[in-house]
Amino acid sequence: MIVETLTSPVILFFVLGIFAALIKSDLAIPEAFAKAMSIYLMAAIGLKGGIEVSASGFTPDLATAALAGLALSFLLPFFAFALLTRFGGLGQIDAGAVAAHYGSVSVVTFVTAKEILTGQGLSPAGYMVAVLALMETPAIISGLLLARRGQLNSNTESSGNGLLHEVFANGSVVLLVGSFVIGLIAGKDGFEPVKPLFETGFRGVLCLFLLDMGLVAARRLTQSKKLNARLVALALIIPVTNGALGVTIGTLIGLDVASAAALGILAASASYIAVPAAMRMALPEADPGIYLSMSLGITFPFNIIIGITLFSQLASMIG
Amino acid sequence: MVETVTRKRIEILVDTPLVPRLIKHAREVDISGWSLIHVDAGGGHDGAWQHDDVTEAAAKTIILIIASEAKAAALVDALAPLLDSYGLLLTVGDIQVVRGDRF
Repeated sequence: MIVETLTSPVILFFVLGIFAALIKSDLAIPEAFAKAMSIYLMAAIGLKGGIEVSASGFTPDLATAALAGLALSFLLPFFAFALLTRFGGLGQIDAGAVAAHYGSVSVVTFVTAKEILTGQGLSPAGYMVAVLALMETPAIISGLLLARRGQLNSNTESSGNGLLHEVFANGSVVLLVGSFVIGLIAGKDGFEPVKPLFETGFRGVLCLFLLDMGLVAARRLTQSKKLNARLVALALIIPVTNGALGVTIGTLIGLDVASAAALGILAASASYIAVPAAMRMALPEADPGIYLSMSLGITFPFNIIIGITLFSQLASMIG
Repeated sequence: MVETVTRKRIEILVDTPLVPRLIKHAREVDISGWSLIHVDAGGGHDGAWQHDDVTEAAAKTIILIIASEAKAAALVDALAPLLDSYGLLLTVGDIQVVRGDRF
């Protein structure tokens, strides 16, 4: 399974992006094209999830997975915060901001994992897309509570409607949830006319998108001056422990192997779209050089190249 | 020859998510006009960075404002406490403008 994953075009394109950035190649994906690909991928994954749920209906598994996802997103930052302050040596505000990233999720990691798992005959349930959307935001609240010693609104300059708007109207959340609902309403028959666009080209677009993400992640890492050995270690330790916890909880609540693996991958992933913007608004004094470098520069590539295989293997072992 | 008057040109390099906050401060000192300039890449004390539209995690914007000396001073006073925490790069310079009554 490991060799199969590492030699899949999706992962190889990601590695190519990293390689190109490391050798300082002038390879670049046009910004507008990269943005269009991310919109396409999120719409496709949302639609497919909604269609699957429209076929299967709202099952008890969906409810328990949603509750598990919400709980993980809210609670994982507390564990990360303890490690970041005690072992990582970060101050309360930086640790709170970083911890929020590790409770929230990475859509791209999930999309890649779903594609790889499906290719291996382990297709996660469609409702995991809804779980993904639910896990985006609770961690932001936990991170703010941790950074501000239990008070969400201690700094009027940094809170209020702007933050709420950023959290709930974030483009990726709106698109993902909206596409999911469209899939739910349209169902399999309604999807047929648009299926060629959203299914035929999906894997190829994902390859090109991950090429760009490899470039972005490696450039973020090489340009960072804020990481030390302890923070690098934590950017690897936190996803491994979070992911193992996610797989274990997924298995204990009775999810199938693929969905338990997906829950583990969601728990292991770190946000680099919704949370950085929210943290920049809510905790402007927190250093973006730390939380972006950890989540995007280290944890994201780790999860894409190793984490997905690791958590699917773990789910297969204990499932 | 067209008559010109001296005004202040204020440029603020800021992380894009914080732009609405700074615009709010500008409005509070009665500055009603501004332009936002997309920034591709840069470097500084904390290393280099590049804008990417996918994550927008490292997006930065330049806010360009032209204002009277009094309004510019009021804005600088309002932003001074935020320079470090927001990581702002704030510059103010004299410029000549036509139609000075607009600023």
